Amino acid sequence: MSAGSTAARVAWLLVVCAGAARAQTLPSEPIALADGRVTVSGDVAASFGSKDPGFFDYTDYEHSALRLMRIDVSAAVKAGPHFTVLAEVRTENFGRLEPYALFLRVRPWTARDFDIQVGRVPPTFGAFARHTYANDNPLIGYPLAYQYLTTVRPDALPASADELLRKRGLGWLVRYSIGNPVAAPGVPLVSAFRWDTGVQAHAGLGMASMTASVTTGTISNPLVTDDNDGRQVAGRLELRPVAGLVLGTSAARGPFVAQSAVRAVDDMQPGNSFTQTAWGADAEYSRGYYLLRFETIVSAWTLPVAPTPPQQLPITSPLSVVSLSVEGRYKLRPGLYAAARYDRLTFSDVTGAVAGTLPWDAPVARVEVGGGYAIQRNLLLKVSVQRNSRDGGPLERSATLGAAQLVFWF
Amino acid sequence: MDAPTRLRQRAHAVLAAVVSFVCLVFSAAFVSSMARPDAAAAARSGTIRGRVELRRTATPTERRPGVGDFGTPAARDLPDLLRSVVYLESAPRGAFEASEGGHAVMDQRNETFVPHVIAIMTGTTVDFPNSDKFYHNVFSLSKTRTFDLGRYAAGHSQSVRFDRPGIVRVFCDIHSHMNAFVLVFSHPFFAVTDAEGRYRIDNVPPGTYGVIAWNEGTWSETKQASVPDGGFSELDFAIR
Repeated sequence: MSAGSTAARVAWLLVVCAGAARAQTLPSEPIALADGRVTVSGDVAASFGSKDPGFFDYTDYEHSALRLMRIDVSAAVKAGPHFTVLAEVRTENFGRLEPYALFLRVRPWTARDFDIQVGRVPPTFGAFARHTYANDNPLIGYPLAYQYLTTVRPDALPASADELLRKRGLGWLVRYSIGNPVAAPGVPLVSAFRWDTGVQAHAGLGMASMTASVTTGTISNPLVTDDNDGRQVAGRLELRPVAGLVLGTSAARGPFVAQSAVRAVDDMQPGNSFTQTAWGADAEYSRGYYLLRFETIVSAWTLPVAPTPPQQLPITSPLSVVSLSVEGRYKLRPGLYAAARYDRLTFSDVTGAVAGTLPWDAPVARVEVGGGYAIQRNLLLKVSVQRNSRDGGPLERSATLGAAQLVFWF
Repeated sequence: MDAPTRLRQRAHAVLAAVVSFVCLVFSAAFVSSMARPDAAAAARSGTIRGRVELRRTATPTERRPGVGDFGTPAARDLPDLLRSVVYLESAPRGAFEASEGGHAVMDQRNETFVPHVIAIMTGTTVDFPNSDKFYHNVFSLSKTRTFDLGRYAAGHSQSVRFDRPGIVRVFCDIHSHMNAFVLVFSHPFFAVTDAEGRYRIDNVPPGTYGVIAWNEGTWSETKQASVPDGGFSELDFAIR
């Protein structure tokens, strides 16, 4: 899409929005059936944004988060006081309908704040992954930790540090010499676009709540069916000491590399585990008209060490990455807010024979500034501009991208 | 005619003129009072009363499916959707005189606005206290009154003054299932029904008025009520 057509679409969006009355004429209530035992809601987010030749905003579905038409339909079916089935299907850019969530929630004791969820469950780790719905994200882009594609792949491995360093900044489509030979996107630190499958338990006790889960994939590569006979264990502790303040910490560890890639390396020595280990801390504070969010994640991938080609150096595992995200929103007047986010990813150093010592992927940073205007309670127009910069790689090292998004929910 | 007789006649004429003037003034005052129903209302007002029957099942807004939640949300109170508002479509002249403006309260309790519907006169200030342990954020984008009170915790309250007549839809920005109505009138002739749907509008000046019942965004047909001097007018409504 050219810049001209982007502008035209944005202009069309603005005209449509300007024509809409401020009065609440669109239905905003979820559809309730069977005396409220079945509820269905929907979220539609249409984003029109600049071209992204630097692939800063591409997601693990190979779509740019700034040029995305996303439709979600969620449903809850209550079967008595103890059981609820929850599901969500999603389509992006009118592609295939994907089951995003499907799980059974069991509350063994109705008087106690304790639940077990089984199936494709919400992410235990981190804070943002459960707030990806467009009406809960004050901007259009995602935090880098949940969206930016690194050069790590679960099914394909670099043979050496040199090969890994050659791929810096190419996470949107990367090919390695070991494992799956097909070029494919790498993974983000935490996937906000897929949920993992397994069992999750949650308990609340006063101002504290704890959640633990055992799932088939990892936070960066959630799966429906396992690819390595391993289970990820994740936990989250959340404190709400006063109204408006949420403090959270999360940890997760699970086998990351697919069996097919491990076999290709032939590094199946006892005790070897090729895991993703992550720790996160987050805080949210809101009061009056402002909302502040902070989140940091430290993640490390341990990869199999392949026989190193001549005159190249082996990878010094683990490959670590640290993310930092700070976000704020302020309501300027009823229905109108301004928001900003700063986030960055920094990668640990790896030494190659040719390139020398460099971060294993190109460090990337983003500043996004924007705002939203509620045309109606459940019809929101967002606009944002983001400045991306990347320290390395063959692609564009910086890009200023603009986008507009229309969000409707019921 | 002697002088005393002329004096007496003149005195009679003056007395007659004074009496005539006084009678004229009183007559004018009487006619004027007849032309002003509100003045008469203070003396001989009537009442419109009756019942509003709801022939449809209003259901409270359900929570959106909490697919992203870790557990079952806490139980909440359900709003009372059976309350209707009955009001005069056109009020007597003089009923629109500026009121001092009182206070009304719409509490936020257990994820519900209580009461779910309030009817007030223009100039009234509504307090929105938060009685829950967590934040609420009351707002409205209604044309009648647009406001956003921000997030505030338990024990705190924010207020909004309503100066224009109309219907104001109130929401919580944090809990999407929370909603309520504030009906603002420029006259005092309205009433909120009780749990059985009964209403009573007092102090209505004698006359014939169009009366409407409202429930959850649905209006009844306008009905005519003839209010007799100091009497009652019975008027029932059905809202489908």
